[in-house]
Amino acid sequence: MEITIKIFRYNPEKDTRGHYETYVVEGDENDRVLDVLEHVKGKTDGSLAFRRSCAHGVCGSDAMRINGRNHLACKTLVRDVGSNITVEPVLGLKVKKDLIVDMDPFFDNYKKMLPYLINDSPLPEDGKERLQSPEQRARFDESTKCILCAACTTSCPSYWANDQYYGPAAIVAAHRFIFDSRDEGASERLHILSETDGTARCHTAYNCTEACPRDIKITKAIGEVKMAMVTGKLD
Amino acid sequence: MTQAKARTLSLSKRGMSFETFMWLFTRLTALGMYAFILVGVIGALVMGARNQMTFIEVLRWALVTNPGHVAYTNVADIAPWESVFWRLVASGMFLTASSHGMHGVIVILDDYLGGISQRKWIRILNLAAYFIIAPIGLYVIWTA
Repeated sequence: MEITIKIFRYNPEKDTRGHYETYVVEGDENDRVLDVLEHVKGKTDGSLAFRRSCAHGVCGSDAMRINGRNHLACKTLVRDVGSNITVEPVLGLKVKKDLIVDMDPFFDNYKKMLPYLINDSPLPEDGKERLQSPEQRARFDESTKCILCAACTTSCPSYWANDQYYGPAAIVAAHRFIFDSRDEGASERLHILSETDGTARCHTAYNCTEACPRDIKITKAIGEVKMAMVTGKLD
Repeated sequence: MTQAKARTLSLSKRGMSFETFMWLFTRLTALGMYAFILVGVIGALVMGARNQMTFIEVLRWALVTNPGHVAYTNVADIAPWESVFWRLVASGMFLTASSHGMHGVIVILDDYLGGISQRKWIRILNLAAYFIIAPIGLYVIWTA
């Protein structure tokens, strides 16, 4: 089948602003949008720039706007978006070249959440693991699935309006540790998230939940963090 | 296996920031407004609204229980509708709704303003507007 793909192009060395270029390629409805981009880059225009790595929905490199919605190009089939495809960089982050955006602000916010286990208590008597029950592990299972692709944060209208907002992905990272029974840093994280640029900027638009390629219920997770701030309950 | 014990952070450890307090305040005032409306509807029915007012007129009354909202209906005796109780209910609804709305404006503006001083000034201006509007609203309710 014939696939028409319109791609946002921007070269900071030549262009003062972005523009679109359209390519027509032969493909199959079971091809992924990433395959179409690879086809364009490999056979038509080698200057096209986009991120990709594992190409199997695990590394989170190729988040982009496909027909107006955030997706991973490697998990989006042509048959699901049609043969007329528009591909653009995600919103809210500065475009560096074509479909590549500057991810530094995104990861800066992620780091502010202290995304690592904090536990200063002495080790258990056997000196081995800090055990937890299957139920305790299940409590934060959902938020461990995050691959930091930024599809959620860059689909959030609050983040578009103000990039000082930590964003859904950072809050999910905090959720993963706040509700971990082995962690002792919840107080510190809740203090950070209770700032003006924390959970207060979430107005439950649900864009993040719809955009997440890992099907994490992000808005629900943010709601749980808000409730933890009010009630103090971490179970 | 680790003994599962409840993990709860005390208020002193988790703190209660302005944002968290106002998040709670917004939800409680929303529930409060529903309660005021319910009181208004029930009160109107008890005072005979079923035969003397249309559904729209009852809703208008319930949103702010001001006797002026009954003046042009088929209610024969307006005296019960302008009691101190109903003026108190109207005042409660007005203050709850206006403070809820004022904070809503602050939240939306905070989305677009990044600077600390900008946010501070918006809060001061909103509070000033609130303290000007609130007495005017109460004056109207108690003199209507």
